[in-house]
Amino acid sequence: MRRSGLPLVVVTSLLFGDVTSAATRPRYGGTLKVAMRAAPTSLDPADSSQPESLARRNLSGLIFDTLVVLDDQDRPHPALASSWQSEPGSQRWQFYIRPGVTFHDGTALSSGAVAASLRAANSKWKIFSAGPGIVIECDVPTPNLPGELAMARYGIAKRDGGKLTGSGAFSVAHWDPGKKLTLTARDDYWDGRAFVDSIEIELGKSLHEQMISLDLGRVDLIEVASDQAQRATTEGRRVDTSSPTELMALVFTNDQHSSGDLQQRETLALSIDRRSLSVVLLQGGADPADGLLPNWMTGYAFLFSTDMDVSRMQSQHRNPRQMSPWTLSYDATDPVARLVAERITLNARDAGLTLQPTNSVNADLRLVRIPLASLDARIALTNLATSLNLAQPTFNGDSANDLYVAERTLLQSRQVIPLLHLRFASALEGGVRNWNTDREGGWRLQDVWLGTGKP
Amino acid sequence: MSFRSRLLAGFALTVFVSVAAVTLIVSAVTRRAFERANDERTTALVAQFQHAFNRRGEEVVQRVEAVAATDISTRLALNLNRNAPNYAAYLSEAKSLADSQKLDFLELADSDGTIISSAQWPAKFGYHELFSLTGPVPKDVFLRQEDLPTGPALGLSAIRKVDVGDKSLYVIGGRRMDKNFMASLELPNGMRAMLYQKLSEEKAGAAVSLQYLIDPSGTLQQPDRVAPLIEHVLKTRQETTAIVHWSSDASDDESVHAIPLGGQDNQILAVLILGSSRRSVVELQQHIRSAALLAASVGIALAILFSRWTAARVTRPVEQLADAAREIAAGNWNTKVPVTSSDELGALAKSFNRMTGELLERKEQLVKTERVAAWRELARRLAHELKNPMFPLQLTVENLIRAREQSPEQFEEVFQESSSTLLAEISNLKTIVSRFSEFSSMPQPQFQSVQINDIVRNVVRLLQAQLQSGSRIPIECKLELSGSPQPIAADPDLLYRAVSNLVFNALDAMPQGGRLTLRTRDGPNGVLVEISDTGIGLSAEDRGRLFTPYYTSKADGTGLGLAIVQSIVSDHGGRISVRSQPGQGTTFVIELPRNLDKLPVTGLIQTEYEAKM
Repeated sequence: MRRSGLPLVVVTSLLFGDVTSAATRPRYGGTLKVAMRAAPTSLDPADSSQPESLARRNLSGLIFDTLVVLDDQDRPHPALASSWQSEPGSQRWQFYIRPGVTFHDGTALSSGAVAASLRAANSKWKIFSAGPGIVIECDVPTPNLPGELAMARYGIAKRDGGKLTGSGAFSVAHWDPGKKLTLTARDDYWDGRAFVDSIEIELGKSLHEQMISLDLGRVDLIEVASDQAQRATTEGRRVDTSSPTELMALVFTNDQHSSGDLQQRETLALSIDRRSLSVVLLQGGADPADGLLPNWMTGYAFLFSTDMDVSRMQSQHRNPRQMSPWTLSYDATDPVARLVAERITLNARDAGLTLQPTNSVNADLRLVRIPLASLDARIALTNLATSLNLAQPTFNGDSANDLYVAERTLLQSRQVIPLLHLRFASALEGGVRNWNTDREGGWRLQDVWLGTGKP
Repeated sequence: MSFRSRLLAGFALTVFVSVAAVTLIVSAVTRRAFERANDERTTALVAQFQHAFNRRGEEVVQRVEAVAATDISTRLALNLNRNAPNYAAYLSEAKSLADSQKLDFLELADSDGTIISSAQWPAKFGYHELFSLTGPVPKDVFLRQEDLPTGPALGLSAIRKVDVGDKSLYVIGGRRMDKNFMASLELPNGMRAMLYQKLSEEKAGAAVSLQYLIDPSGTLQQPDRVAPLIEHVLKTRQETTAIVHWSSDASDDESVHAIPLGGQDNQILAVLILGSSRRSVVELQQHIRSAALLAASVGIALAILFSRWTAARVTRPVEQLADAAREIAAGNWNTKVPVTSSDELGALAKSFNRMTGELLERKEQLVKTERVAAWRELARRLAHELKNPMFPLQLTVENLIRAREQSPEQFEEVFQESSSTLLAEISNLKTIVSRFSEFSSMPQPQFQSVQINDIVRNVVRLLQAQLQSGSRIPIECKLELSGSPQPIAADPDLLYRAVSNLVFNALDAMPQGGRLTLRTRDGPNGVLVEISDTGIGLSAEDRGRLFTPYYTSKADGTGLGLAIVQSIVSDHGGRISVRSQPGQGTTFVIELPRNLDKLPVTGLIQTEYEAKM
């Protein structure tokens, strides 16, 4: 992408050279220092034991390429796959591998290596190499397979015993699992060399530590808690926020419920003041969630309006049933989750329900945060259903109505109560140039270059 | 029990009772004094703790006032006058202020009681305070039940109002009364504090919820021991004090002072329990008790020894008097009691010695008198016995002399008659002499096994011949013999003689006839023989002198028969007695011991005397 973007930058620099400083011109070199809260112990994109997160996707995207990438309009574009085609029914797909691509160790990217890598990521598919490409046979029609292959877990990796090699823009120079990762830019990257020479990533840093490190100039890029983004901006920091892409929801552990339970669950859903959650507790760093998918992704989420309905809630409350208190678990290390859980407890108490916040894993309710796995709505919904232990959604067609029906079916199960869609926020040091993210907040560090002073 | 033992027991009991009484009195007085001192100490400790508690309350007030004085509070109060509160802007203000002032609880609320920012429950913005903020703001600290996400908690709270414009901002802050709060209080040595938080809505009479009873360690053992105290305080709403026994060891006891702590509406929200260890008091009491017991034991032991010495000193002269009396009773008339003191016992000993001396003199005089009397009696008897034959002898000799002088021709004839008379009287004199000789030389009994019934039957067999002669007045002889008397060791000949003497005396006592009864029976230590008659009986004088030798109430008696009987019975170790009233007959009773140890050989009991008879 930089080869296509660089001329534009240069031309712009030439056109406005008299009014902009030399710092606006791209510059190669330097080390980008990053701090992250996540502390993955494995870089393998197919390792399902690691929690799914945007941070992990950001790391994986630097080391491992995927066959396809999605743009902000959810359209697939070639990456390691130069082209693809499907047979009628969308169950058999053929992807053609981009020639001339090599792994970090110099070996050529082959269709066999790609097939082996994808088999490690998804054992349900039947994958085999066929000449310059690979063939993927799905057991069900999969019209959005290219979009799914854009997910980080389908990053192409060569596995030689315990050694993991990718074909991305950066190769691993040092890896201290869960603590630190040092990446070096590849000069022979098929999509052009990154501007920075290397990236040093400190893992497992709390948001507070990250903010201090940024203020002390020890790092260039950090994560910012959703509820702190506005404050950080107010305090003069350079903050970038994504679209709301992380679902915060209440999930019932027990899927076997009576009609009384359904009434209680509906009462709880109606009692929650989502606006206070988003505006006060999250300080505008989240939007009230009407559905599982954000409105910007589907356009119909307002139809699931879940605004606090006092009259309905009071109607439910007039016929209270003797129910034992529900226990509500949340991530004790997440201050936002704790605040939200405590507010929900208050809201529930207004509705005559008793919630007991707990750190036990065996709770009746779980407060979860799940990032959208893909910009593809169907893929994202499917992954959300998987993460929430819900039944897999069924899509009867490709239309928006089919997506709506599938999501409504999930919501009507009363297994999940959407609360918020949180924005992903990052704070940057002034020298970071050409900062860009995708719509879900994913970093595009390949395009970043380091300047001096404020942009 | 001897006099010395009784005296010793009396002394010992007196000393023991005295020592016990003194010990009990000292113990009671000491215990009361210690209890009073301990109460005073506990009161001082409680006052000291309450001072620390009040100081902590003052700190809370100062910190809340400090929060109220911050620019943030002023700015927030100012904003309340301008528009509706922006909860998002102040979401973390209370938390920051609470952290800066080290307060566990802090809430900022408007005049309506709406919480703008809460440190203990940040998500509680927009909700109302549980209690009313109308009315004057309390100046002092008070207890308050705080609502937390994890449940209710008790806080030591204070309220201050920030007035800006028309609106007011209420600052409600406090410290949580948990184990950390309890641990932060400065407790005097030997004291510990517990707190019962009345957080649950307990029904009247319901048991105290002991999970709300905390102490600084967080691990209160046996909380049920103080539950009754808490219930009492909750019921009476007054302070109370009691001693709590935590174990069987009294030194683990505590003097527990329970103080009710009320909230704004005078509702009791907590009970402060101050325990003051009684270990030092109990150990001191135990030490004193041990020392008292030791002293009492030593005192009693010394008292017993002293009592023994005193009793021995007091009773020794008495015992000497008793021994001397026994010696005198045994016939040792020369016994003297040593006079060792000049007190009453000494005077008693002197009197005793003087008495024995006088008794000895009188006895010797009496012996002399009796000896003279005996000689006189013997002389009288001899004169009487000898005078009777002497008179015929004198007449016969005078008749011979007269016949030779007056009628020589008849002298031969007279001589012949007189010679016969002389020989007869001389023979009579010889008989008298032989009787006296026989009495003076009674043989010693030859012991052998004897059946007393056989002796009696032999006497009766001899008697039957005389009773059946026609010349006698008829006398009925009756035998009442024991069925199977135990054999005794005795001389059968002498016994036969004694019984026959008594039988013949009985016959002589019944000149008009009567009934003679002979009885034998086993006694506890031997056998008894009774010879009863229905004769003329004996006077009192006769009974007194009956066994005196040569005394007789019969005209032709020698006075030796009963003396011989008594001599035989005495030689057998027995005793003879007589019961008689004039005109009502006489009964002689012979008591004979078994004397089996006097048999020459042990083994078969022989009745050889039957062969001799």
